[in-house]
Amino acid sequence: MERKFISHDDITAWLDGLAEDHVVLVPMKDGGSVSFRPYVQGRTPNLDRQAVPSPKDAVFPQNETLLKYRFEKDPEHLDRTRIQVKETLPTEKTVVVGARPCGTRGMLTFDRVYDCDKNQDLYYRTRKENTLHVTVACTRVESTCFCHDVGSGPADGEGSDVLLVPVASGYVAEPITERGEALLAASQFKAAGDREAEAEAVKAATVAKLPEAHDYSDSAEKLMARFDDMEFWEEQSAKCISCGACTYLCPTCYCFNITDDTTGLTGRRLRSWDNCMSFQFTLEGSGHNPRPTKAHRLKNRVGHKFAYYPMLHANAIACCGCGRCIKSCPAGVDIRAIVKAAQNYTPKKEEGGDES
Amino acid sequence: MKANPLLPEMATILEVVDETSNIKTFRVRFDDEEVMKNFTFEPGQVGQLSAFGYGESTFVINSSPTRMDYLQFSVMRVGEVTTRLHSLQAGDAIGVRAPLGNSFPIEDMKGKDVVFVGGGIGMAPLRTLLVYMLDNRKDYGKITLLYGARSPLDMAFQEDVAEWIASDDLDVVLTIDNPAEGWGEEDQTKRVGLIPNVLTDINPAAENTVAITCGPPIMIKFTLQALKKLGFADDQIVTTLEKRMKCGVGLCGRCNIGTKYVCVDGPVFKYSELLELPNEL
Amino acid sequence: MSMLEELKEQIRTALPDLDMVIAWEQGFDAAHGTPLFIRTEADVDRLMVGPLSVQNPATYLPALVKAKGAGKIGVVAKGCDSRAIVELLQEKLISREQVVIFGFGCNGCVSQALLEGKIEEAGKYSAELTGVETDGRTVKAQVAGETLSFDFNDVTFEKCLTCEYPNTLIADHFVGDKVEVAPGCEKAPSLEEFEKLSQNEKLSFWQEQMRRCVRCYACRNACPMCVCRDHCIATTHDPQWISQENNAQENFMFQMIHTMHLAGRCVECGECERACPVNLPLMLLRRTMGEAVRNVFDYTTGTDPEVVPPLMTFKVEEENINERGW
Repeated sequence: MERKFISHDDITAWLDGLAEDHVVLVPMKDGGSVSFRPYVQGRTPNLDRQAVPSPKDAVFPQNETLLKYRFEKDPEHLDRTRIQVKETLPTEKTVVVGARPCGTRGMLTFDRVYDCDKNQDLYYRTRKENTLHVTVACTRVESTCFCHDVGSGPADGEGSDVLLVPVASGYVAEPITERGEALLAASQFKAAGDREAEAEAVKAATVAKLPEAHDYSDSAEKLMARFDDMEFWEEQSAKCISCGACTYLCPTCYCFNITDDTTGLTGRRLRSWDNCMSFQFTLEGSGHNPRPTKAHRLKNRVGHKFAYYPMLHANAIACCGCGRCIKSCPAGVDIRAIVKAAQNYTPKKEEGGDES
Repeated sequence: MKANPLLPEMATILEVVDETSNIKTFRVRFDDEEVMKNFTFEPGQVGQLSAFGYGESTFVINSSPTRMDYLQFSVMRVGEVTTRLHSLQAGDAIGVRAPLGNSFPIEDMKGKDVVFVGGGIGMAPLRTLLVYMLDNRKDYGKITLLYGARSPLDMAFQEDVAEWIASDDLDVVLTIDNPAEGWGEEDQTKRVGLIPNVLTDINPAAENTVAITCGPPIMIKFTLQALKKLGFADDQIVTTLEKRMKCGVGLCGRCNIGTKYVCVDGPVFKYSELLELPNEL
Repeated sequence: MSMLEELKEQIRTALPDLDMVIAWEQGFDAAHGTPLFIRTEADVDRLMVGPLSVQNPATYLPALVKAKGAGKIGVVAKGCDSRAIVELLQEKLISREQVVIFGFGCNGCVSQALLEGKIEEAGKYSAELTGVETDGRTVKAQVAGETLSFDFNDVTFEKCLTCEYPNTLIADHFVGDKVEVAPGCEKAPSLEEFEKLSQNEKLSFWQEQMRRCVRCYACRNACPMCVCRDHCIATTHDPQWISQENNAQENFMFQMIHTMHLAGRCVECGECERACPVNLPLMLLRRTMGEAVRNVFDYTTGTDPEVVPPLMTFKVEEENINERGW
């Protein structure tokens, strides 16, 4: 598939065209932050900034109406109430332009659970089929970036339809899928020519900025070895405040809640992001909670990403290394440090006593 | 398996039975006759009942697949959804997502003696398997039921229990925590004592036997100890687990114990499997 | 001996009688601080107290003192942190004997959000910030190998600009000299700007801001006063006050409930705004509420452990509430 080029000057024209029959989500300055917002003519996209939330909202929105219900009187038995239930499947066609490889790759974690032989989440599948991903390769490395530690990199196109690599006057566009290639038929895309070499140099320069990759391959084994060591988890979770910043911003977190919202005689069943760091996540009706403390819950979150999920899915780590959790954690909890602590764990020796 | 596993199938409540002060049994039929006709499930599988406007909760289908006039669920009132379900009456609409989860390892039990040990609402998952076995009586050896509750008023399935006591197909022992007026001590069927102690008194043979137990966590803990003392091996004991559930199909990520999802890999587990799970029951 | 060394000594001396001492250390890079839970002598060496020690350690106290077998908890507290501790004492959520407080005079902290904003204004990428150094007057930021300099007052928290309590209010140990109380300005500049808006403009402002709230509840959990975080009204269904739906209206409702529940309790430590991953200007709400409390009850939160907060008691005749004069 042929690589193309689009100049900075042509970006808005291209987005205008896309926006005619798609919802186009782009990173945009939003108050004091950067969010994915629908592009409409007149709004300025910020393709050189990473959005704080992940792009997963396009295929797994924070809120999804699963069904609507309506209470009606049964005309034949006036003392009875009938319930009309209607499934509500999503219908938008979306293009996400400007996510980074780490964010887009989050969808690969979803696929193994939501779109596989065992399970088909209809809402996710429908959105996935109707969403295209035009991902921008990174040229800057943050202290919280670790995509290369988990099998990816700043110009990884896996999961995307098109990869845009920033060059001096625009972007070299690499089609990854056939649907991506079709996007590049737009008139604003020209032949890449010798900009292809420039793009390769940009990619190499970014990789060179990364620190040496860390090997997380034994993390599952080492984390499971710490499972009953509550002292370890209390130490690791001491500064955690059990909020949901890490979970909600994470491109690979897929846990959800289901609640019913009723107004009068109609309502809807809402699926929304849920947060395994909250006390209520596993709280049972009897009052029993298998994960009563933040130590238990942090153990589950880290365990899920670096142990349970890899154990179930051929060693694939359920973390894309984007670093949002580290950067946005109010207390600076660093998942890399926790996994490394488990990997490097040696039992403490008591003075003159046994090894515990 | 429905195309959309999160969409409930509409059903109507045929009958509501008041079992105890906080347990009601609901007998439901799917509104769509084709769906009702083609519905199959294995003993042990569960369903999510929808109280629209309030939410869903997981209950074992405690009727037997050998009797498909209706699906039966027993609900203990503990919170918002179950309170709403308790307000429903015969003729009311209800949503059902079923069957979910795994089922009892029936093949492993054929030709063996079976001991059922149920506590309180824990009798519900046992009921489905017990009725199934009684309907396929020749496939199994001696069947014993030990059913315990706090008091006679807390015993559910009174009609079934009376039938089972009268039947020659199984031995029944009931027990309550403390003596109660009218609870016959002379009749060895009705005893007083905690379930694990009564189990020890009954002293079922462990050889070629499977024990199935369900009930409150503390009862299960001590019953397991009693079973081990009686010589039951870890893979001869079967139980069911409870967890907060939402999707019921392994998507929402909340009911896991390590790598196992109780809604998909359970809720039925052999004790030997439980021992391999990380410690977060 | 420097102030830091003296503080380390004080902690080392007290540590054997304490479960832990909560303080700060270097975070995941040289531009961030993070809480440090000192349990051993070796941990003491990691202590960092300075303009990057932004987290309020008081938020950990209510749960720690309630834990089974809890002994005494030590905590290093800035002035604003100590106001939170005083408020917790006033509400009897912790008791004085349960905490050992190490105090000092604080010269202000650097706001990550403001610093990143300044870096972006200078045409650089805040994502490439790797280090922060300051002498209290100038802040030097390392950005992609380059050093950018900013005036401290331009990148410090607004709570530091307006701070009237730079010295730890109650302390078992105090290190160094007290700092002079000299707020840079009386009212937070962003609040001044906000108050100039008309009612309609304010509504539009909040509709635009609240759209990006992700309902992560970082604001709630960072707040030392939000001790009911595990049973919060925002995530209960019986009764249901707000939907789980994430739109400006529901999000704003959550923030209003949050602010109201903090009336007479909020010490304006600013953690809610700092914790917010999408930089919502939550302190506009808190400061407005704080001013209302000051005007109606002549009361400033978290300054005197002996005082009963006005919304936890009643007066038959309120001085500033005209109940009968209409």
